Amino acid sequence: MHIFIMLLINGLAEGALIFLMAAGLSIILGLLGVVNFTHGTLFIWGGYVSIWIFGLTGSFIIALVAAIVAGFAMGLIFERLFVRPVYGNVTAQILITLGLMIVFTDLVRLLWGPNPIPASRPEFMDGTWVIDSVIISQYRIFLIIVGILVAIAINYIVNKTRVGMVMRAGTQSPDMVQALGINIKVYFSGVFAGGAALAALGGALYVPLVGSVWSGMGINNQILAFIVVILGGMGSYYGSAVGSIIIGLTVAMVSWFYPPLTVYATVLLLLLVLTLRPQGLFGLAVRN
Amino acid sequence: MSYISNLMHNRPAIKPGLWILIVLTAAVLLVIPPLSSLTTITLLSRIFILAIFGMSYDILRGYTGIINLGHALFFGGGTYLAGIMFSRMGPTLDVLLLAVAITLAFSAVIAYIMGQFAFRGTGFIGVIACAMITLAFGEIARHTAETLREYTQGADGLTFRVPVIFQDRVMMYYYAFLFMIIMTLILRRFVNSPTGRVMQAIRDNEQRAKFLGYDTKKYKLIALIVAGMASSLAGIMFALLTRFANTELLTVQNTLNALLYTIVGGTGTLYGAIIGTAFVQLAQNYLLELRGIHEIFSRWLLFFGAIYVLVVLYLPKGFVGAYLQFQAKRQSRKKPA
Repeated sequence: MHIFIMLLINGLAEGALIFLMAAGLSIILGLLGVVNFTHGTLFIWGGYVSIWIFGLTGSFIIALVAAIVAGFAMGLIFERLFVRPVYGNVTAQILITLGLMIVFTDLVRLLWGPNPIPASRPEFMDGTWVIDSVIISQYRIFLIIVGILVAIAINYIVNKTRVGMVMRAGTQSPDMVQALGINIKVYFSGVFAGGAALAALGGALYVPLVGSVWSGMGINNQILAFIVVILGGMGSYYGSAVGSIIIGLTVAMVSWFYPPLTVYATVLLLLLVLTLRPQGLFGLAVRN
Repeated sequence: MSYISNLMHNRPAIKPGLWILIVLTAAVLLVIPPLSSLTTITLLSRIFILAIFGMSYDILRGYTGIINLGHALFFGGGTYLAGIMFSRMGPTLDVLLLAVAITLAFSAVIAYIMGQFAFRGTGFIGVIACAMITLAFGEIARHTAETLREYTQGADGLTFRVPVIFQDRVMMYYYAFLFMIIMTLILRRFVNSPTGRVMQAIRDNEQRAKFLGYDTKKYKLIALIVAGMASSLAGIMFALLTRFANTELLTVQNTLNALLYTIVGGTGTLYGAIIGTAFVQLAQNYLLELRGIHEIFSRWLLFFGAIYVLVVLYLPKGFVGAYLQFQAKRQSRKKPA
């Protein structure tokens, strides 16, 4: 029984991290119709920038903020210079974000070297609680709380604010929003950069969890995030929240019992869902 | 129906100029071996083999409009299957034939399964879902190769011996050249066949092809199976050339290599892949030689990505596409409207 409580916490923590990536991917996909292959790269950059700033300042909070700022800035640049010229051309979008993925992943190796850099958890969250002989890592609880807070914040922004209203309207019909005198392009940039910032935050939070940062961690997590996005239904962030929890728990369970099967388990789960519900768990919330 | 029959009758005619170019290139290729170094010969052999890898991608991207991010699994699968069989059963021609048969069956089955899941949607959602699902398939293949250490030696890579007749570099060069010519002819026949025409109709407008009564998923599956088989054959040739397989061959990066070959050369042209492969391989080689001048030149991936982004933004039709466009413009200027 104790094992299951532990795996539940591990799984939810893992799910919270995946959610940070998947939510951004899903909202960008919904509003802009762009699938962003640089998400994994932004994840890595978040990790490296946070380690770098943590080394300079010694403050975990400043490191997280720096990662968010770096992710936001990179997202803004990517959108303005590279994604904007190819709106409406899905193939070109996929190709161009793949190219950026290659360049910026290699830039990380150029700047910080090819070898993994060890990272430690901030001292005030490094401990564990032992409740009835169940060992609970404080950092994982922190991750779960961050995940829930981000989910609540996204929900609030999308459903309760004017910005969210424009975003929802833009997902339905960007031309109509433009015709009503709202500059939808500003929202496009903002959403893209916001999703990028979330991915960078995810990377910054992931590094202390696994204890090191390396340039290969992006693609693995990006694939998990893609699986979540398809599983949950493209463009639906509710779907990505539920999908993240499902995938997080699957990863935690399988990697506890037999680690080599983790990758297969997640993909098999995806294929199973696609067979039963081709549109994903929460349907297509995207214009077709 | 008229849309499809239009496509069928407007076969892209090859200009006499291009024919001269092809004959010239062929002649030079046959004269080169006695006159150049082994390094050059091996580089050219690589180009011939990888060109087919690129061409197989062109069938997907250029002729059917599919983005398959797991395509490396066919190429790498061919290299690994041949390598494993050579190292386990001995480097003989019989084993090679068996490896070819098994690899073709393997890639056809995998392509079928992959397509069943990847080609569920249509429209832009379909393209995106396909890219994501094929990416997952590719990663599974890479992961499997890394896990089955007993057969693949994991991350260290698998070294093996090849049949005697492929050990001579110059002979291998000719085999590679022959392979490229034969595969180009076969694939050209395929894309110009009625099936190939339907594939192009799907690329241009899948909905319309569907309304015309074509089972578009079936044609996409055929395209993926043919492309997968062609690519796995290139993988076997690559095994014969390099006598080495590692998990790099199965990464997304290798899929992107094939993608870059076709988009630099020109998608939907088939021949473009040859020019694209030659350009990319020669550029890579040239930059590596500049390594002594500045360290930055050893970061091939930076240049790779930069070329990639620039081509997608500014030369979306590639070299061959740009050349054909230039030709067409000149033609229309000559003729009074």
